[in-house]
This record gives sequence, structure tokens and C-alpha cells, in this order.
Amino acid sequence: MAALLTLSRLIDATTEFIGKAVSWLVLAAVLVSAGNAIVRKVFDTSSNAWLEAQWYLFGAVFFLAAAYTLKQNEHIRIDIFYGSRSKQTQDRIELFGLLFFLMPFCLLMLWLLVPYTLEAFHSGEMSAAAGGLILWPSKALILGGFVLLTIQGVSEIIKRIAIMNGLMDDPNPHLASHAPLDMAPEVKGDNHA
Amino acid sequence: MLEFIAQNMAPIMFASLIIFLLLGYPVAFALAANGLFFFAIGVELAPYSGGEITLFWPLLGALPDRFWGVMSNDTLLAIPFFTFMGLILERSGMAEDLLDTVGQLFGPIRGGLAYAVILVGALLAATTGVVAASVISMGLISLPIMLRYGYDRRVASGVIAASGTLAQIIPPSLVLIVLADQLGKSVGDMYAGAIVPGMVLTGLYMLYVFGLTVLYPKSAPALPLEARTLGSGVVSFIVMAVIVIALTWLLEHFLVPSQGDNAGILATSAGILAAYFIAVADKVSGFNILSRLTQQVIIVLIPPLALIFLVLGTIFLGIATPTEGGAMGAVGALVLALSKRRLSFDLLKQALAATTRLSSFVMFILIGARVFSLTFYGVNGHLWVEHLLINLPGGQLGFLIVVNILVFILAFFLDFFELAFIIVPLLGPVAEKLGIDLIWFGVLLGINMQTSFMHPPFGFALFYLRSVAAKVPYIDKITKLRTEPVTTAQIYWGAVPFVIIQVIMVCLAIAFPQMIMRYKGDAETNKGSIEMQLPDIGKNSTKPMGTGNTPGLELAPLGMPDTKKPATPAAPDLSQPPKFN
Repeated sequence: MAALLTLSRLIDATTEFIGKAVSWLVLAAVLVSAGNAIVRKVFDTSSNAWLEAQWYLFGAVFFLAAAYTLKQNEHIRIDIFYGSRSKQTQDRIELFGLLFFLMPFCLLMLWLLVPYTLEAFHSGEMSAAAGGLILWPSKALILGGFVLLTIQGVSEIIKRIAIMNGLMDDPNPHLASHAPLDMAPEVKGDNHA
Repeated sequence: MLEFIAQNMAPIMFASLIIFLLLGYPVAFALAANGLFFFAIGVELAPYSGGEITLFWPLLGALPDRFWGVMSNDTLLAIPFFTFMGLILERSGMAEDLLDTVGQLFGPIRGGLAYAVILVGALLAATTGVVAASVISMGLISLPIMLRYGYDRRVASGVIAASGTLAQIIPPSLVLIVLADQLGKSVGDMYAGAIVPGMVLTGLYMLYVFGLTVLYPKSAPALPLEARTLGSGVVSFIVMAVIVIALTWLLEHFLVPSQGDNAGILATSAGILAAYFIAVADKVSGFNILSRLTQQVIIVLIPPLALIFLVLGTIFLGIATPTEGGAMGAVGALVLALSKRRLSFDLLKQALAATTRLSSFVMFILIGARVFSLTFYGVNGHLWVEHLLINLPGGQLGFLIVVNILVFILAFFLDFFELAFIIVPLLGPVAEKLGIDLIWFGVLLGINMQTSFMHPPFGFALFYLRSVAAKVPYIDKITKLRTEPVTTAQIYWGAVPFVIIQVIMVCLAIAFPQMIMRYKGDAETNKGSIEMQLPDIGKNSTKPMGTGNTPGLELAPLGMPDTKKPATPAAPDLSQPPKFN
């Protein structure tokens, strides 16, 4: 189990690093898109490559950060039932979901995405728009996202089993509802003191 | 038995989706799992279904392309842009400044702080699509002040939670982007349709506060004299306001011949800029002709207003697409935060990480919904929903009432993202068949879904407010008095009147579709011509915005014969609001 937990920590660190790193691409997407808008207005021209770069960047953000979001327990859930269960039941639901909801989906997608991406890579397929970008990197992003999500799923399974056996504390215990989108935890502190 | 299941796959699948979701595992993956599970069953049962099920294994191969379609969708790019913009503004202290100043402006009248919260809520809503941030900052800043000066706790918490949810309906809201995408309409039109209802709703909130102060003056008292830190000087504010409005009016008349419809927006921008320069000049030069209150109000209020004009103005004028507007707004927010010297590296990093996580969970719900819909359409689920809804008594009105009641109930335990991605694609085609304008329909649903944030006991806005409101008695910083905490029951009861207002607003929007139909601009005035919803290329960039993800929602391509034109004169005109009377 210790070896598995080490593996899980390694996975967590990787996905968190990637998740935070790709978050800078949001800023890049903002700047590219604002730049496109200005160029289009001022010079009355536009480049399909740069227009496509916007959603390439955003695609990289949300696909590659999905694993990090899973690790942070921020994929939203409907907790009308879940929220009122005991911790033990919640853990069981969590493990069930990981094994029967998340993993089959991820594995199926890997099985479909590998040939999908390879085909685009070998054919050197280009975007249909004139002057557009080459397609396979965007498809590889989807594949990359699901690879990360799959290994994060493995890490979550390891952690959940460890939590259920009392080997570790839950790093993200479920709150009454999904955590507010506040950026810094300090807002939860009492400012009236 | 097998035949029975095979021929009733759609209802069975939908019922079990509810169970899958209620289990409490993240929605995105529960949706996908439900889709895949029934895909497998569907393929096996297809031979027994009498043609009802059109699923076969190779169809799964369509999934990567469907995901790729989600990714290459320009419209949804606006989601991270507006989220990021809102978070930067929030964290650079805009909410604090606004609440302090507007609170001082309205403080001297009864219910003043409540009006300030509603107005600031609407202003924040117009810069961001994020509910959480507004509620949290208003809960942190305004709630203690309201409690200090004797506001009824239910009124105070209700006003804050409800005003925070205005971000859902006042453009540039995320829910409107998602709704436009799911209904295959342009985001710009959706924004234009939502702006009047958003303002009317803000007005209704204020009317409610006014009614309270008349009936129960003690529930929302005026600020005592010693709390008016900026002094008085309302007269100079009113004079200033009159000057600016006069200037705007004159400019508009001057500009109308050359600029046409855009004159109003241009003149307002000019008037507001003029006010800003006068106030800054007055302050810097030391003349201080204006009162301190006026200076402060103008200087604090104008930058966000300018940003709102930059974003919404350019979208409405057709200069920018909503995506471009979002990007410009985000850059504008960064510039504002920089100029206030409040932009730190840490703040930027946090805002980016929060935007990333929000984008990821929203987009993955959409990914999950794509898996679900692949199967659901394969078992003719859309036809099942259509049969259920299209034969409702009362035609359009009956449909709207039933759908709104349904959404209102679902909003008790579903978030708006779930509603928008799961329910709306099923309802949209039926609404279109009934001749309901989809922008009108979308805005109606948007107002209705706003209640999902306010419904006790699961409303997220209430939850956010709970997380920042005092839970134990505390000593007030100014009055040094022991102040009782806000109980959860008070937060719940405070929200109830606003949920009722929301229902009233939905009824108003059904009764007076003109509020929303304004988005068509001139088209409304030259009636008679059958005007179809074409992707307005002129307004958007190189690609049409309505990406028509949902089968059956494809827009008629430009230049094609108008296939959707009513076949007979008696058929309903799809482009006009129905008349009920």
C-alpha cells in the first residue's frame, strides 16, 4: 500500500503541476483573442491561424486541467442525497463512481482517441479554414486530457481505499455543497473578530 | 419483456439518469457513464425495438469528433474570459469601493444600504458572470454594516443573496452564453434580449425594499449621521447628474443623423467620460467645486461603468463578438487592477487557477452531456420528449407554463449548468416547433434558473453567504456592541420573498415578450415581413456564432431558400412573439 500511495502522490503532483501550468494559457488566450479583435478592427484583416489558436489554448486549458480539477474535488455533483450521507457511505459512493463511472469512460475514450489522434497525425490533416492550423495537436490535447484523467482516476482510487482503511485523511472532504469558487480560502475566515 | 424495455428505452434511460445523478458522483462522469451504459444495452436490444433504437457499436467512434466539436467552439471561449475578468475585478477590490461609495450615497435614506447592495449587485453582474464572487464580497462588506445599523437579518441576507444572483441574468452572464450555445442562437442576441428583463428585475428588487421600508420602517433604517463618512453633498451630485444627462441627450440628438442606432450608446459613453474628467480635474486642481461625495462617487463608479460599456457596448453595437468582448473586458480588468496597484502576481495566479477549474468542470459537463445525447438520440429520446410536451393543452402558453414549473422544481436540486446542458437541448427543439422565439425562451429559462441559486435549502448563493456570515456572536468594530450572528433559518427566510419576485418576473416576461424581443431592433418596427433568424454575419467575426450543436436546431444557412417559412398563411409566424389575450 505504501508503494501505491507513493505512486498516488507522484500522480497528484504531476497533474497539479500541469493543471496550474496550463492555467497560464487562459491569460494567453485572453491576449490572443483581444489581439485578434483589435487587428480585425484596426487593420480589417484576420488570420484563421490566430483565430484557431484561441480555442487551441482554451482546449488545452480545460482538457489538461480536468485531472487537476478532479484532484481538487471541484467537478460539481448533485449533493441532495450525497451531502446528507455518512462519511462511510460517501466513501463507498466515491469508490463506486471511480470504478464504474469514471474509469470505464476514460478507458473507452483512450481506446477511441489513440487511433483518432494517430490518424490525424499520419494524414497531416489541416483545418478546413484557409490558413488554419494543423489538426493533430488539437486532437492530441483531448487524448492528453484523458490520459491525465485516467491516471488521476487511479490515484483517486488508491487514495479512496487508503481513506476507507484509515490510512490517510481525506484531503478534500465533501462540504455541504460544492466549494464556492472563491479564489482564496481566507474569505471563509471570520472577519468579525 | 425485452421488447417492452427496448421500446421504452428513452423513459427508462431518463429515469435512471436521475438516479445516476442523485447518487452524488460528479455530474460530468455520471452523465457519460449513463450514456455509455445505455449505449451498450441499446445495441443489444436494438433488434427487439422495432426500429426505435438506432445504435450500433461503430457509432461510438463518433465520440472523439463530438468532443473535438466542443473544443473548437468559439462561443464557449467567452466562459473563461468573463470568469477571469470578474475574478480580477472582484479581487482588485472593485466591489469594496463600489459598496462603500454607493452605500454612502444612498445611506441617508431608509433602506439605503439595501438599495446600494442591489445596485452594486447589478453593476457587478454587468462585469462578470460569476455569482459566488458577488455574494461573498457583499456578504463580507455590507452584511456587517447592515447588521450594525439595525437591519432586519432576513432582509439583509435576502437582499445580498438575491443581488448576487443578478450576475446570472444581466449580460455578460455565463448562463446566457451556455443557453445561446445550446439553443443554437447568437450570444449577442441573447444578451440583447436579457438586458431589459435584467433591469426590470433589479427594479423589482428595489420596489420590494421600498415596500418594506413603507410597511416596516424599522427593518431597513437609514444610516445615522455619524456613519456618513463622506459627508453630505447630494445636491452637487444631483446637479452633476442633470448636467451629464443633458449633455448625453444633446449629443445623442447631434449624433443620430450620422450614427443612427448607435448614437445612444456613443452619447452615453461620452457623457460618462465627461463626468469622469470633470470629477478628476476638480479633485486634482483642488477647486473642489463638487462635494467630496460627488467626487468619490464619480471616480469610483466610472471605471467599472466604462468597462461595462467597453464590453457590452461593443457587443451590442456589433463591433465585437461576445468572445472578443470578453477578451477585451479581461484585458480592461487587468489594466484597471494595475492602475489601482492592486494586481499582484499571486492574485493573477489565483484568478487563473480558479478560472481554469471552473472552465474544466463546465466543459466536462458538456463533454458528459455529449456522450449522453449520443445514446439518447439513438433511442429516439428527443422524439419521446417532443411527444410528451408538444401535445400539452394551451399551445405555446401551456408549454411555457409547464416547462417553467418543471425548471423551477428541478432548480431546487440542479445547478444551472446541469439544467442548461441536460434539459435545455431537449426542450429547445420542441419550443421551436411550437413557434416560440428561442431567445425569448432562453431568457425566460435564464430568469427561472436564477432561482436555483436562491432556493432554500440548496441554493448556492445562500451557501456562499452562509460561508461568510457570522456564525457566533461577535463584538462590532465600531459600536463595540455584542452583535448576534445570522442564523441559517434567517438566511433561508430572507431568500423566500426574492424567489417569489423571481416567479413574478417569469410571469411578466411571458406576458410581455416585447421586453425581450427588443433584441431584434428595427425588425420589430417593420412587421409583416417574415424575418428568419439567420446567423448575422455582420455582427460576428469570421464564423457564425450559433454553432447549432443540437440536432434539429441548425440555422438556415444564408442565401438558402427559407425552408422554415410557414407553409400556409395560418401557420404561426416563428419570428414574432405570440400574443396572449
